Amino acid sequence: MSGVIGTARLRPTARVRRWAVGYLFVLPVVLFFAVFVAFPFLRSFYLSLTEWSGFTSPRFVGLRNFESLADDPVFWKALRTTIIYTAVTTVLQTVLPMLLAVFVNVGWRGAVVFRTLLFIPVIISFVVTALLWQLIYDPNFGTLNQLLRAVGLDALVHPWLADPATVIPAIMLVSLWQSLGFFMLIFLAGLQGIDQNLYEAARIDGAGARQEFLRITVPMLRTVTAVVVLLNLINGFNTFDIIYVMTGGGPNRASEVLGTYLYKLAFGTESGATPSFGYATAISMVVFALCVVTAVVQLRISRRARDVG
Amino acid sequence: MSAEASRRGQPAAVPGQGVAARPRRPSVPADIRRRRAARRSAGYFFLVALAGATVYPFVWMLLTSVRRRDTVFGASFVPDQVTFGAYGRAWSQLDYLSHFLTSVVVTSLTVAGVLALATLAGYSFAKLDFPGKQVIYVTLLSTLMMPLTALILPLFLQMKALSLLNTRQGLILVYIGLSVPFAMFLMRAFFETLPDELIQAARVDGAGEFRIFWRIMLPLAAPGVATVLVFQFLSTWNEFLLAQTFLQNPEILPLQPHLFGVVRGQHVTDWPLLTAALTMSVLPMVLVYVRMQRRFVAGLTLGAVKY
Repeated sequence: MSGVIGTARLRPTARVRRWAVGYLFVLPVVLFFAVFVAFPFLRSFYLSLTEWSGFTSPRFVGLRNFESLADDPVFWKALRTTIIYTAVTTVLQTVLPMLLAVFVNVGWRGAVVFRTLLFIPVIISFVVTALLWQLIYDPNFGTLNQLLRAVGLDALVHPWLADPATVIPAIMLVSLWQSLGFFMLIFLAGLQGIDQNLYEAARIDGAGARQEFLRITVPMLRTVTAVVVLLNLINGFNTFDIIYVMTGGGPNRASEVLGTYLYKLAFGTESGATPSFGYATAISMVVFALCVVTAVVQLRISRRARDVG
Repeated sequence: MSAEASRRGQPAAVPGQGVAARPRRPSVPADIRRRRAARRSAGYFFLVALAGATVYPFVWMLLTSVRRRDTVFGASFVPDQVTFGAYGRAWSQLDYLSHFLTSVVVTSLTVAGVLALATLAGYSFAKLDFPGKQVIYVTLLSTLMMPLTALILPLFLQMKALSLLNTRQGLILVYIGLSVPFAMFLMRAFFETLPDELIQAARVDGAGEFRIFWRIMLPLAAPGVATVLVFQFLSTWNEFLLAQTFLQNPEILPLQPHLFGVVRGQHVTDWPLLTAALTMSVLPMVLVYVRMQRRFVAGLTLGAVKY
């Protein structure tokens, strides 16, 4: 901290009083954090080692929940779907917004209107998005199939959300639709930070557009890219709202992800009448582990990239 | 924001990405110029098509909401007859007003709470000095990395233990608790741009610490406050999962989970009514977005880039 604000040169009583002000201003946030984030989160470590339906008190069972997870085919299916969904959306939602940002950044007339329009889905809630697309994908009356019929592509008419083969791609498209403008804007902000002299120098050396993109734009955007990838991965592992509203994990668990599965186990009708909090918490630990591993790996990679670059 | 330059339509940054015609250069041969023009048209076509595809669901939603109930299916894209009957039906049949007001109250109180706590803490982390500051700050920020799906069940149990389950007050408290770290992070970034000398001068004049914060620093951080306000408004208004989970009495649900319940529960076949309900729930957000677009975009991108 700067010398102007620092407390090092104050007399002891004055210094402590100044500290007290700092703590006092932070205290309310710390209290909220303790009650609604830290305590529940720490407690879930313990709960994942118990068996509990919420009525009597939790019974400690050691690692049994995790052992059951290993034998649970639905869990493996959900884990697989989660990873595929996360991988594909991360690639799509990083590469496409980046290309689009570079493309838009060239200076089109009306680029502002374009950005404004593309950003609109970002401000729309998951519920409205999901319900809207549910109607669009409706097999009989949905506008997508009507559109296909109208242009003579009847062969492609399809019950998009009701077919296990197309349900995940259909949801991925919704996710892309909703996030494209957001990530494009982040990349646009990153592009503004690139030193234009680099391009001048490259052009003098006779570099083409593609070389400029690969040798300058992409490397210079790596910090922003790292952020976008991280956000995408964490959103992917956490996917819940869209799928829960659109399909509820169906048909026949084809779109079941960890989020929907654990939610149904805890609050829904998954295990019959009794909710299994312990088991659901064990799944949430897996989600958490995925996020932590991702964040650590990401941090390593971006740090190394920074050292090399 | 640095997007200023391209907002004014200047060909800022990354020139020479192939598509751009560069009119400044003299004596470009005619065939190359023609090829550039062709590429430019193709580029425009692409942008317009993409914008169209993005907006299409909304246009469709609006058009469906003004159709007559019996002309939804198989009719032309643009309705022959426009009627606003569906809005009236949605308003009365879905008990719209009460859920709308719940959303307004829950959102306002959450925004107010978040702003109060986040400005104080953000200021403290940016401008005050105390032992353990960094550790506390980073610990609070760890909330941002916390997966909500991992948190929701223990949070549910916590609410139950505190008898906050099924109350709107409880929901508001949870919203504040989960949102305040990010808002605090934004406010700290804004306070950091203000000069320390102001605080020093005020101290010399004998002003108390809270007074300095309230009368001098907070007004100067008004753009930051506006950013947090808009961002928080939108994310709270749109929130679905927590409200759906913590409020079991369907009568006290905010708008988003209520709409979900309507579609799930009753299998509505009245599409104009549904789309009218969705349109009405989107309206406040679109208004806020259009009016305060810059603030919102600034908040979102600042948050993402500074992570």
